[in-house]
Order: sequence, then structure tokens, then C-alpha cells
Amino acid sequence: MSQENKNSSILQITLNFTLASLLSGAILAGTYFITEPYSVSNKIKLKELSMRELIPTAQAFKQIANKNGWYKAMDNKGNLVGYILPAETKGYGGTIKILVAIDAEQKIIDYKILAHNETPGLGDASGLPEFRKQFAGKKPENLIVVKTPDPTKIVAITGATISSRAVTKGIKECLEQFDGLIKENGGGL
Amino acid sequence: MKLWKIFYKGLFDENPIFRLALSLCPAVAVTSTAKNALVMGLCVLFVITTNNVVVSIFRKLINPKIRVPIFIMSIATIVTVVELVLEAFFPILFQALGIYLALVVVFAIILARAEVFASRNNIIHSFFDGLGMGVGFTGAMVLIGIIREFFGHGTIFNLQLLGSWYAKPLIVILPPGGFILIGILICLFNMLGFKLGDIAERKKATLLEKETMND
Repeated sequence: MSQENKNSSILQITLNFTLASLLSGAILAGTYFITEPYSVSNKIKLKELSMRELIPTAQAFKQIANKNGWYKAMDNKGNLVGYILPAETKGYGGTIKILVAIDAEQKIIDYKILAHNETPGLGDASGLPEFRKQFAGKKPENLIVVKTPDPTKIVAITGATISSRAVTKGIKECLEQFDGLIKENGGGL
Repeated sequence: MKLWKIFYKGLFDENPIFRLALSLCPAVAVTSTAKNALVMGLCVLFVITTNNVVVSIFRKLINPKIRVPIFIMSIATIVTVVELVLEAFFPILFQALGIYLALVVVFAIILARAEVFASRNNIIHSFFDGLGMGVGFTGAMVLIGIIREFFGHGTIFNLQLLGSWYAKPLIVILPPGGFILIGILICLFNMLGFKLGDIAERKKATLLEKETMND
């Protein structure tokens, strides 16, 4: 009983909790301090790697003026081989971040999902080749999600219609935005 | 011997999913394929063992009135540290585990082991308790994952076992299928548990009988 009384003083409880929070805060801050520079450089490397994966023929990536994260992809002779565009969309479990690669004629080459919170085993299949390959060669007007097989459209993943729609919508909007920019600039960049 | 007992009880007698019926959320949500189930299980195995050790070290310093928030904070800190370290040094692994790790924080089984075991036992015992519970959890997850992947996709660990003739029933991959399967498995495990318990009890009874007869 006396033990119980001693422990229940509100000041002691507060102190105990404060100390615990301080300790865990200090551990987190320390870890972050050590790991931060590595993860930043990793992110840049990974981004470059994913861009190269999307357009293997590209040698250099040049950022498009005033457009953060939009890149022109050039081959080793300096010819334009495509564009890399970032897309964002709201999926089943939150924001999905996508990197879309299109060729010089604005047809989709491929895309890569950079970050998502979709259900493992269902929604995350929107990043797998089986679903992704449907996008290759398509233009924005073909990006319509259907449930019955149709090679001219995008067939939804069974059990993950919301994720399929979200990814398709995000890519479509991104491409339309890009198309608008091209038209604004009179056909080129 | 005692350590083995502490370890072993998590595998069967107190299996987190099948006997304690804790952390059923991941057991339904992340078991649609065997690989996902295994990865999730290993994450939990690591976090539950580490957290048990941490809680056991600090068990005398934690005020009992606020132990639960402190346990949660400890789990969250461990998970965040693991995330930061993975992100910095193993970015590919981090991308594969990212969605699983964040989920681990709220698993009932980790909190339950901190509360029931680690806050009352020494560090070595707590370590083995976490290890046993983690292995039991992983085993249960993989078992569910293998069954669901086999019937839902016709594969196990992405290995094609059933041909294209197999009409995949979608319900197995969706959450309802998980619930139904876990229900069946819990039932089977309990039946087995009762049967084994029965046998053990009868053995004890005959032993007692013999002893009294000898007396």
C-alpha cells in the first residue's frame, strides 16, 4: 500500500514520463543525426537509379526549367529520348508517389512507384510488372480503368480497384499537365 | 531447461495468433502471400525481442501507473530507430519493409508481452520470451500465408504450383478469406491443444495412481 502511494504522486508520474520521453527523444535525435546524411545521399542515388531503370537508353537527365522534379532524358549523342515526370495521387492507404517515363512522342514507357501505403498483397500489385506493362505505349486518352479484359485500356487488379484507379488517374493527370506545358511552349521545351 | 520452456511456450501453448488470439489484424491483412507474411513475421520477431529486453532493463524504473504509455513509446522508438538505420544503410531493404515496419508499432502482442512478461522477469528470460513469441508469430503468419497464397494464387513463395486451369477464388486473398481461415486454424489448434492437454493429464493421473499404490 505504501509502495502504491509513493508511486502515485502526480509529480513522480510526470517526472517518470518526462524522463522516458526525453530518453527516447534523445535516442531518436542521435540516430537521426547519424543516419540523415546517408539517407539523403541514398535518396538521390536511388532516384537516379530509378530514372535510369525507366529509360535505360538515357545517359543524362536535365531538369526542365521551373519544374521541380521534371527531367528531360538525353542519350549519349544529346538526342531527346524521353521525359521523366513525377506524379502524385491518392490511393487506398494514402498518397502514392510515382515516377512516370514517357518517350519523345509522349507515349508511356513505364512507371515506378516510389512510395505508397497500399495493402500488401493487393494494392501494392499496382507496382508489379503484370499491371505496369499495360501502360506501355499508351497515351493519356487510353488510361481508363475497366474490369473486363481490354488491351486498349487498363484492366484493374482483382481486389484492388481503388489502387488501380488511383495509379491510372495520377499518371493521366500528370501527362495532361505535361501536355499542357508542351502546348504552352509551342510544341517543344 | 527453463529457458527452453519459456521459448517453447510461444510456439504452441501460447502461440500469439492461434492460442492467445492477439495481433489478428496483421494475420488477416498481411498474409495474402507467404513472402509478405514471412517478412512481417521477421519484423515482429525482431521488435518484440528488442522491446522485451528494453522493458526488462528498465522495469524497476517505470512507474506502474504509466507503464502502458511508456511501453508504447519504447516500441515506437525501437521501430523508428530501425527505420532510420535501414533507410540510411539498407535503402533497398527499407523500400521493401517500409510499409510493414510502421505497422508493427500498434501490434497488441508486443505490448502484451511487455506487460505480461518483460515487466516482471529478468533480461534473459524476457529475451527468450520475445524470441519464442516472435518465432511462434512468424510461424503462424507463414502458415496462414502459405495456405492463402496456395488457394488464392496457386503459388507458394511465388513458385507456380497450380496451372492456369485453376480458377482462383478471390475471397481467399481478400480479408474475409483471412478471417475464415484463421477461424478454422484457431479451431484446429485448440482441438489439438485440448487433446494434448488431455493426454498429459491422464499421464499425470496414472503416475499419481502408481505412486499412491506404491505407498
